[in-house]
Formats: sequence, structure tokens, C-alpha cells
Amino acid sequence: MSSLRALAATAAGALALLGVTLAGAGAAAAHEPPAVPDPPAVMDFVPPAPGTYQLHAIMPAPDGPVLDVRGRRARLARFTRDKITLLSFIYTNCADARGCPLAYQVLHAMYDRLRESPDLRERVRLVTLSFDPVHDTPAAMRRYANGVLAEGSPGLEWAFLTTASARDLVPLLDGFGQDVRLEPTANGTRAPRLGHVLKVFLIDPRGIVREIYTTSYLFPDVLWNDIETLRLE
Amino acid sequence: MLCARWLPSIAFAAALITLPFTALADETCNSPYMGNLIKGQEDYVYVWTLGVPGLGDGFDKLVTIAANPKSPDYGKVIHKVSVGGRGEAHHMGFTDDRRFLWAGGLDDSKIVVFDVGTDPAKPKIVRRINDFATKTGFVGPHTYYAMPGRMLVQGLSNTKDKGGATGFAVYSNRGELINVVSMPTDKGGDGYGYDLAINPQKNVMLSSSFTGHANYMRPLDKLVGDAEAMKKFGSTMVVWDLKALQPRKVLAVPGAPLEIRWSLRDGDNWAITAAALTSKLWLIKPDASGEWGAKEVATIGDPAKIPLPVDISINRDGSGLWVNTFMDGTTRYFDLTNPEQPKQTYEKVTGKQVNMISQSWDGKRVYIASSLLANWDKTGDFNEQFVRAFKWDGKELTPAFEVDFIKEKLGRAHHMKFGAKSARLAYPGVRTASAESTR
Repeated sequence: MSSLRALAATAAGALALLGVTLAGAGAAAAHEPPAVPDPPAVMDFVPPAPGTYQLHAIMPAPDGPVLDVRGRRARLARFTRDKITLLSFIYTNCADARGCPLAYQVLHAMYDRLRESPDLRERVRLVTLSFDPVHDTPAAMRRYANGVLAEGSPGLEWAFLTTASARDLVPLLDGFGQDVRLEPTANGTRAPRLGHVLKVFLIDPRGIVREIYTTSYLFPDVLWNDIETLRLE
Repeated sequence: MLCARWLPSIAFAAALITLPFTALADETCNSPYMGNLIKGQEDYVYVWTLGVPGLGDGFDKLVTIAANPKSPDYGKVIHKVSVGGRGEAHHMGFTDDRRFLWAGGLDDSKIVVFDVGTDPAKPKIVRRINDFATKTGFVGPHTYYAMPGRMLVQGLSNTKDKGGATGFAVYSNRGELINVVSMPTDKGGDGYGYDLAINPQKNVMLSSSFTGHANYMRPLDKLVGDAEAMKKFGSTMVVWDLKALQPRKVLAVPGAPLEIRWSLRDGDNWAITAAALTSKLWLIKPDASGEWGAKEVATIGDPAKIPLPVDISINRDGSGLWVNTFMDGTTRYFDLTNPEQPKQTYEKVTGKQVNMISQSWDGKRVYIASSLLANWDKTGDFNEQFVRAFKWDGKELTPAFEVDFIKEKLGRAHHMKFGAKSARLAYPGVRTASAESTR
């Protein structure tokens, strides 16, 4: 349907990233962070102005044990409360241009915009959470996040997280409604291939999911207006 | 009840042009937020089936038919789940992750959620929402349309007068009500509702309009004799700001515009609908300045003969449209190469009464179901109840299999959705345990 058009449009913006991840599939390079992203695809509509609409209180963000890039255990709630949070599930071996590379691309665009906003950078955090606990160890996530962590930005938080096991992960997947499917794995590539619908979650400071973005709404301008809308509540 | 002997009747003809028609099916009309469309061979056809007193257990039920020719059970019923009541089973819709199938009744306003992800061959009931009417004020949950993490549920009526003024509800995928939106009654709006369809690329949602519980549950002969009731059918569509869920413009589309189908072709920005009462196809698109409008673009059969278009199914590339007409049991194909001028290129009588039509993503398989509404289906020998599968080679519909829903003591076959074995979730052992614990 129309999503196909959206996918086609957004995929164009992610082709460079796709090349990076495909080239790295099955090798250590799979854990490298995506290159600095290209600008996202152009929106085909004007999003409503901040504060002129309401964002649904869709559901409480689930909580559970996670690991940061140093392997330290924490509760996910530590990363979904008290600030406006943009959370995306990824796995570092993802080669789907419509998936993780696009999420990284958009979050990175938001990261750049937030860094320039003294008003928002301390009110908003970004979270990237792996759904492949077998391969995405804390060390792998640290490599994935290396560029961002090295860059740093005072006051602006971007957490890269994973889980210790599928047992810790699955309640989070089910709680967010993030589907992950096993897909056939080509010979010689690292297993598994994890099919999923790209979703980025907007969470308010109370820990309530207020919007879920797929490829069709995953534009920095839309995210920015939604963040402003939450701030105006 | 519809009956062939009424056909010559002028009164009957007058009634027919105000009948409600049901639909929404096939792989090409799912919500654009559903990421895992079945683009190969479907393994199952789920059929939401109206219970018939004295036939089997008499309850509404979800019937699963094996639809893959490689299956030893091809064309057979392999599973059925009764819901324990009879509430005018009508339509269904998948959640965005395709793990759950929501289905509801137009009479009792109850919603049942089936788990089709854990074992697609054996759907099971995991949730019931019995307070749709009391919580929303709406009656007759009709369209189930997925948004990320949510379901839009379009009502047909309301609790106050059972008329056509209604609205839609927004539920979380867990079944919690999170928003209620009334259809507009100002700026030309009639407040009626029927179908919903989203074009996220344009931030647009379209809605169509039908009639209320007082009409659609009424025995047809009594409805026909009530001139005032016959006036109470929708004649509008609404263009919504999807992000804000606020109406932007009301379009005049007379004749009860029902199913809405967006063209899926890259770059297209138009939708099509069938007005049941006037037997017309309408095109909805923006003009050069971006202003949305609707215009009549084709006639379906001979409106004077009251063919009654009930369901439509668009090709994945927007190049063609199937149209089922209930009264003459005919399946028609329109070439949409130029959506401004659809051309009928094929027709075939596929049953004594036909309602729903669903096509596979590749367009090679077409499924047809028979039932419209319990009180409006034909009677006697004309009351065939079936799902018929056809192969389509671009020139001819060739029968593939048929399930006789009366012989199988199932009921009236209505809405169809597809399932596939390939929807295998990651971490199955842990996930099953987790799902069970939170249920």
C-alpha cells in the first residue's frame, strides 16, 4: 500500500547504510556502527504543528533488566522515565535498509538536532536496544556505538543497551509489541536473520508510550513536533 | 429476507438501493502498517462466520481452511473456533504485527481477539472486549484497521438511537480503549461511518459512510416499508489528518460509499470506492492544488437492475479492481490503468449470492464468500453459503476448490483473511512462556 511508497522513499536514503551492513555481514565489520547518515527522505506532507493535536497514551513502557555497553546491569525504566525518550530496537547484524540502519539514521539526525537545542537536549534521551542478546554483547554494542560515545555531547544522553538473555529480552519485546521473526539464513552468514517491522517508540517522562513510528512517520520533523507537543502538555 | 420472487417488485428495487453492504478483505487491503504481508502462497484462509440457529452449534465462529495446494488438506476445513454466542459476525482485521486477529459482531458489538501468531493453523481466543458499546457510545464495530501498536475500530451506529451517527475508537493492541472520535456532523458531515483506509505517505485517512443498527439489523421486508428509515443512509466521505485524527474535509459521495482502497502503486495518490446504492465507482484524489475531491468514474453493471456492489479488491499495483455484486452473484473485473476511466473487462457469475472477494498479493488466486447479513441473505435455494477459491490467469476465473458452509454445518461465510506458516516468532520457547504468563 502506501507504505510501499514510503519504504521505497526511505530506502533510498538508507542505501548507503545498506551497503555498509551488507558488506559487513558475517564478519566483525557487522558490529561497526553505520556510517554518518544521509539526510532522511523528504516528507510528503506538512506535519501538524506542535500542541495542535494529542498523542495517545498507548501503553506503559515495559521494564526489565538490561545491560549497558560496560556490561552493567540496570532496569530499562532507568532509561525510559523522567525524560522524553526515543527508543529503537535494532540488531547490529541487520542488513535491511528499511530496518535498523534507517532507525539509526533518524536517531542520529535527531541527535544532531538535539545537540543544537539547549532547550531540549537535557529533556530528551535516545535509546538503542538490541534484540539479539546472543551476538550483541555489551562489547558489540560498544563498538556499534563507538562513534556516538566518542563524540559525546554534554547533557544529551544516547544509551546503547542489550540484554543478558532471551529470557530478559522477550518480555520487553512483547511489552513494546515489537515483533521479531526468524528468517532463513544464507550459508556462511552469521545466524540468525531476524525479521522485524521497524518501530521507534516515543515515551513521555512518566514512562508511557505516546507514539510508535514506522517507516511512514519516521521523519525528524515529525519526531520533533511530537517532542514539542509532549513538552507543551 | 431477500428472495428471488421479489425481484420484479418496485418496492423491492427501492429497498435494494438502500441496502448496506459489507466487505473489506484480501492481502492488498491490509493496513499499510502491517509489515509482513503474505506475498507468496497463503497457507490458510480464515473465515469469520455467522452462526445459524440449528446449524452445528449455531454460534459465530472463526473457520480455518487449508489453502496451499501442497497441503494434504487443501480446500478443507482444518480448524474452527466458536465464540459461544451469535452476534452478527462480520469483519476482521490483523494487528500491525499480524500476531492477532480482531473480529466483531454488528449486533452484539462484542469484539473477539484471536491469536494467529503462535500457531497460524489453529487460532485461539485470547481476549474478549464486551464493552465496546458502553465505553464508546458506538454500536456495530465494523472495520478493524491497524496502526502501530493500536487498532482503529470503526462503528456503524450508536447506543442512543441506533441510527447512523457514529465514530471510531482507538484501542491499544492489548485491548485497552485509548481514544474515541466521533464522525463529523458539521461542514457537510452526516456523522455516518463505515470503512477506514490510511495513506501514511500523505498523512491522510479516508472514511466512508453507511447506516445504523436500526436499519442493518432490521428484517428487510419491514425496512422496505419504512420510507423514513430508507432515507437514513450515508452520502459522505471524510478526509482526515491522520496524525492529528482530525477531519479536514467532507466529500459528497452519494449512495453509501463503502469499501475504500488506496492504489498501492509507487507514486500514486488516489483511492477508489464503490457506492452501493447507485452502483458507481468513485475516485478520491487531490487536484493540482492539493485539494481533495471525489468524482464518479464508472458504472457497475446496470444500476436499473440493482446489481448491488458489495465488496471490491484492488490489485497490488493499482491496475485493476474486482467488484462483487450481491444480487446477480457476479464477479466483475475493472481495468484501472486510467483510474479516471475504469473499464470493465471481465465478468462471471460466481454464485447465487456473492459478497466478499479477496485476492492474493500476486493476484493469481481469488476467494469469494457468500453472506451479506443474516437477515438480508437470500432464502431457500438461493441461500448458498460457501467459500469458493478461483485461479486467475488474467483472462478467466477457474474454480480451485469450494467449501460448502451449510453442508459442513458452519454457518454463513463472511469475511476472509489469509494466514501463513512462515510467521515464525523468534525465541519461541521463551516467548510462549512469557505470553502465557501475561495473559
